[in-house]
Amino acid sequence: MPYFYNTPEDQQAMLAAIGASSVDELFDVIPAEHRLKRPLALPPALSEMELAQQLGALAAKNDHAGSKVCFLGGGSYDHFVPAVVDALAGRGEFYTSYTPYQPEVAQGNLQVMFEYQTLICELTGMDVSNASLYDGGSAAAEGVLLAMSVTGRPGKVVVAGSVNPEYRQILETYFECIGAHLVTVPAASGIVRPADVAAAVDSDTACVLLQHPNFFGCLEDVAAISKIAHDAGALLVQSFDPISLGLLKRPADLGADVAVAEGQSLGTPMLYGGPYLGIMACKEAFVRRMPGRIAGQTVDRRGRRCWVLTLQTREQHIRREKATSNICTNQGLFALRAAIYLAQMGPQGLKETAELCVRKAAYAKQQLTAGSRFSAAFSQPTFKEFVIRDKQNRVADLLKSASAAGYLAGIPLGKWYPELEDCFLVTVTEKRTKGEIEGLTRSLNQ
Amino acid sequence: MRNLKTSTLLFELSKPARRAATLPACDVPVERIDKLLPKDSLSERLPPLPEVSEPEVVRHFTNLSTLNMSVDTHFYPLGSCTMKYNSKRNERMAALPGIADLHPHQPDETIQGMLELLYELQQILGEISGLPAVSLQPAAGAHGELAALMVAAAYFRDKKLLRTKVLAPDSAHGTNPASAKMAGFEFVTVKSNAAGFVDMEDLQSKLDDQIAVFMITNPSTLGIFDKQVSQIAQLVHKMGGLIYLDGANMNAILGITRPGDFGADMMHYNPHKTFSGPHGGGGPGAGPICVTDILGPYLPAPVVEKVEDKFRLAYDRAQSIGRVRSFFGNVGVLVRAWCYIRTHGPEGLKAVAENAVLNANYLLSRVKHILPVPQGDRCMHEFVASAAAIKKKTSVSAMDLAKRLLDYGFHAPTVYFPLTVPEAMMIEPTETESKETMDAFAEILFRITEESPELLHEAPHSTIISRPDEVRAARQPMMRWKGDGNVR
Repeated sequence: MPYFYNTPEDQQAMLAAIGASSVDELFDVIPAEHRLKRPLALPPALSEMELAQQLGALAAKNDHAGSKVCFLGGGSYDHFVPAVVDALAGRGEFYTSYTPYQPEVAQGNLQVMFEYQTLICELTGMDVSNASLYDGGSAAAEGVLLAMSVTGRPGKVVVAGSVNPEYRQILETYFECIGAHLVTVPAASGIVRPADVAAAVDSDTACVLLQHPNFFGCLEDVAAISKIAHDAGALLVQSFDPISLGLLKRPADLGADVAVAEGQSLGTPMLYGGPYLGIMACKEAFVRRMPGRIAGQTVDRRGRRCWVLTLQTREQHIRREKATSNICTNQGLFALRAAIYLAQMGPQGLKETAELCVRKAAYAKQQLTAGSRFSAAFSQPTFKEFVIRDKQNRVADLLKSASAAGYLAGIPLGKWYPELEDCFLVTVTEKRTKGEIEGLTRSLNQ
Repeated sequence: MRNLKTSTLLFELSKPARRAATLPACDVPVERIDKLLPKDSLSERLPPLPEVSEPEVVRHFTNLSTLNMSVDTHFYPLGSCTMKYNSKRNERMAALPGIADLHPHQPDETIQGMLELLYELQQILGEISGLPAVSLQPAAGAHGELAALMVAAAYFRDKKLLRTKVLAPDSAHGTNPASAKMAGFEFVTVKSNAAGFVDMEDLQSKLDDQIAVFMITNPSTLGIFDKQVSQIAQLVHKMGGLIYLDGANMNAILGITRPGDFGADMMHYNPHKTFSGPHGGGGPGAGPICVTDILGPYLPAPVVEKVEDKFRLAYDRAQSIGRVRSFFGNVGVLVRAWCYIRTHGPEGLKAVAENAVLNANYLLSRVKHILPVPQGDRCMHEFVASAAAIKKKTSVSAMDLAKRLLDYGFHAPTVYFPLTVPEAMMIEPTETESKETMDAFAEILFRITEESPELLHEAPHSTIISRPDEVRAARQPMMRWKGDGNVR
């Protein structure tokens, strides 16, 4: 067995110390009728070399962002990950440690959490950040639950139809259990109209959940919608794209009360969807109702600055059924990756990354819509994603032939938006080159 | 070697115009940004991030890493967390481009290898648990609990049965009651008896036709197998309720017994514990759930299906509770779990449980002479010692002992959990530790109990900081750097 120490001699010595005649005897407490009387029906053990061969063979069956040019987005992005992120987050002292319950021997992780929280506050303009949640979708759901708790309005939430459809599905799942009502405002022009939001919001509404830039890549009128929410005594929960904050106004500057995001863009590979990083930041007044771990600064007995997990009386291990959430872990390793990424990028690097995304996406949109077959589905300004309409309405075939030509060209939208059955979502990150964009255009026009 | 000048914050290193990353020149026409995006959407200033050089980034985070204890560097007997060795080969495998660089919206035909792996993992987890229907979607153990309770709620709704209560013993993880609440249930605590088992009388008195689910951790958080479990299952099933197994302690029973065979209808795994996905300083985990065939249709969608020789994501599941997270799940953790299971094979997994239980019993046999273990002479993969007697005698608490262990280079056990044992110290050595390490731990624990209480109250003495003032942290919360408050 690869990872054990115990030799037969060790085992005998240990059994003698225990006073047991065999290892099997240690399991006598399990009633005989429940003991498994056969080996598990699993494939046989593999050596390291065989494992590498078998997994290598499975991996080789997959196309990936290194073998095909990736124009897919919709919540997971092929952004560049600097080498320092892998090198530093790959240190065993980080990834083989656990929750800093003993702060004296976890100052590294705690300081990283504190730095991460500060970076997220600086990025969003919000007062406080937790030390992360699971992913963007569950962070959005937790943000909404936070708004319900803060406003004391447990019955109703208004969500823009331009919020990532999977995030809205998560909300529907959560709401089914607690009997809350989700009102979706359509985004027929690619964004929601403030007047439609105003019509949906009332004095029972806990919050409006808005994504900006939204699922279609379009920019919403966040400030107007935040005013509508606030006038009704509701909160504004904004889902944002961290890379966009290299250029765009911060959620706090737009009036958001709670800011949530998928943090995968900040130094985490796409990994077929996870694990990722759920970002949540909010106003200071809500902190005692915020879910998730929080690191705080304090001093030790000799007065030295140090960090601990704090405000733990919100959490399940103390409050049990009265906790703000059932969440137990944070995504420590990915909060670390985000902190390293943001340190490496700095203000200028983040801005330049965002600019490259915007310019390349604009170029791709212009190239794709220059011919007669494709048009932009929406006339709104877009950030790094945009929706293309295929006038021949053959999206499935089109994407398949583009894939054969080496391009992961876009995400078909019909499964979430029947009215956009002839449309697909194209994403252009800073990694895409002019040549790749032109190649995509040629391949789609063939 | 530890660099003692490490606690400077990133923000204090910042100096205007320093930078690390350089980006390529723009190869498409350079339009003005305010022509591409509305001017009023744009920020008037740069994001206020720290400005540091790449060597500073590397030195900063490398030095911070050395302030952590970790499984790679120390014995980490943190009960309930299963801090076993995290193999390096699994890290290499999960980083292969054909695994790490897959976009979650790639069409099924472009990811047949990944879907095959995930399909195989569904089958494997079903076989190990004896509960054949599997969802890999939940992001963590607590998330799995929540998803499974939602599955139960959907099942009862479908059967038009009004079920309002979730029950669990007082020794349960805090996530159990919190998940029950989030899933819309009323939570009822059932007492444990002195032996640490479910108090059957108390359970019977709380059982009625409003019960949806009884949640049980077995082996329990006290590290003992509750042999009443099938009797409990019979009682709950008779009332029309379901049994949920909190799978946090699966490490003790891999290949020995299966939850589905002792009465469970639903369970979650913690692959970051049982299957050694690294704990990542507090995450990521994953929380795949397994249920009976009857409950299978309610699982979150999508699941992986095999149709002839092809694999596909099945979304067309009319009774499904829907989604609990975006995309497929914490695939990076699941791939490592697959690697771990395939590396061990069926005999190897059983040997994991055997050696984990052997090690825990051996350490128990040494520790019980130093600190009493209220639940007896035998345990499964972990045991809970109590410092109550020593505290009464000398005022030395479980916390004091835990802190002093740090001085000797051992991570502390889990302390003050479960809540049912006073001055609890929950110790889980795991199968990947040696007899020599456990002997050294026991000897040090004994030596510590002989040390002066004054010394112990002030421990640790050799760590980078002494005990932090947690009361101050909570009363005057400082949760971000604001450019001041530099207490040195």
